[in-house]
Amino acid sequence: MAFRDYLPGLAALLAVGLLARALSIYVVPLNHLVLAIVLGLLIGNLVPIPDWLRPGLGTYKLLLEAGIVLMGARIALGEVVSNGAVLIASVLIVVSVGVLLVELLSRGVFGIAPKLSSLLAAGSGICGVSAVVAVAGSIKANEDQIAYAVATILLFDAITIFAYPWIGGLLSLPDQVFGMWAGLSMFSTGPVTAAGFAYSDAAGQWAVLTKVTRNVLIGAVAIGYSLYYAHRSVDGTTGSSDGWSEHLARLWDNFPKFVIGFVLVMVLASTGILGGEAVASLQNGYKWLFLFAFVGLGIQIKVAEMRSTGARPIAAVTLGLVTISSLTLGALTVLL
Amino acid sequence: MSLADSTSDGNAPFANHLSRTVTRWNALDRGWQAVLLGLFVTAIVNVGFQIPW
Repeated sequence: MAFRDYLPGLAALLAVGLLARALSIYVVPLNHLVLAIVLGLLIGNLVPIPDWLRPGLGTYKLLLEAGIVLMGARIALGEVVSNGAVLIASVLIVVSVGVLLVELLSRGVFGIAPKLSSLLAAGSGICGVSAVVAVAGSIKANEDQIAYAVATILLFDAITIFAYPWIGGLLSLPDQVFGMWAGLSMFSTGPVTAAGFAYSDAAGQWAVLTKVTRNVLIGAVAIGYSLYYAHRSVDGTTGSSDGWSEHLARLWDNFPKFVIGFVLVMVLASTGILGGEAVASLQNGYKWLFLFAFVGLGIQIKVAEMRSTGARPIAAVTLGLVTISSLTLGALTVLL
Repeated sequence: MSLADSTSDGNAPFANHLSRTVTRWNALDRGWQAVLLGLFVTAIVNVGFQIPW
């Protein structure tokens, strides 16, 4: 695909992003990121999107990840090191408990098929749609199961993106508590970033730092599921029976590479190579990238497609989310 | 591609180079694209380019 194919959609993201920012300054006293998502959501659901806009609109994930790379400049390495043990322990506990809980609820309580249960557990436990796709590949889930799980996860992304900042405001949560809470318990990276920065800049930074730590586990969980299903006949099929070299290759394939850039920029900023003005510019840079990315995030939320989700998957994921979210918030409030 | 490859259209070598660069870019994993884009922006702001808000 040629560069010019991306230009119309990119221009649309820029135009709607600028409109959201202008509206937030002059018309509606709402956060510009929330307005960007709402405008995107309205456009995506009320206006037919022509094919020539789609390549550029699809770049929103790249803009989001590039923004996270730039955000590394605002994260103090010392703070990461001093909070590292709490952060890693929280992520390991929440991901393990979250995945197991949704598996148990889906299979044991709601009688959902094993592979669909696993996709729902991975999607809600690690990083939303990316985790569903990664785990689906390692357990040989079929297209229907993937579509069902993705629709369920997207439904929760669409709700939590607005519900979390609202609940955080009601409870007057401190920035770090809110950011880590969103990063630990919400599903996909985009909505976590949006909810965090809609709350405050500091909360956004904590949310993204926590979420990228959680995302790193995606490869390990995909391999865990691959091993689990390897010698079991589930839904009439077995999973992959790959060797260790294939598992390592999958671990690397699933590793979110933008995290490397985030760490590189964080280290560069901490060594003092980047001056104060450069860091301020990078902060402005990621604010623009997030603004444009969230327009695309809103456009891809399709309300009609969410109707294809079933009551049982929604019930299982709701119970899992409410339990994990409440326990995480309680623990963070006590610990921090 | 050398200048000898140039055709009557003086922009052809540049256009070909751009086309190859875009092809290579499209072949990259999105995560690596984000790393390169992020490092490129970091480099240009560090030589004095300012991004206003």
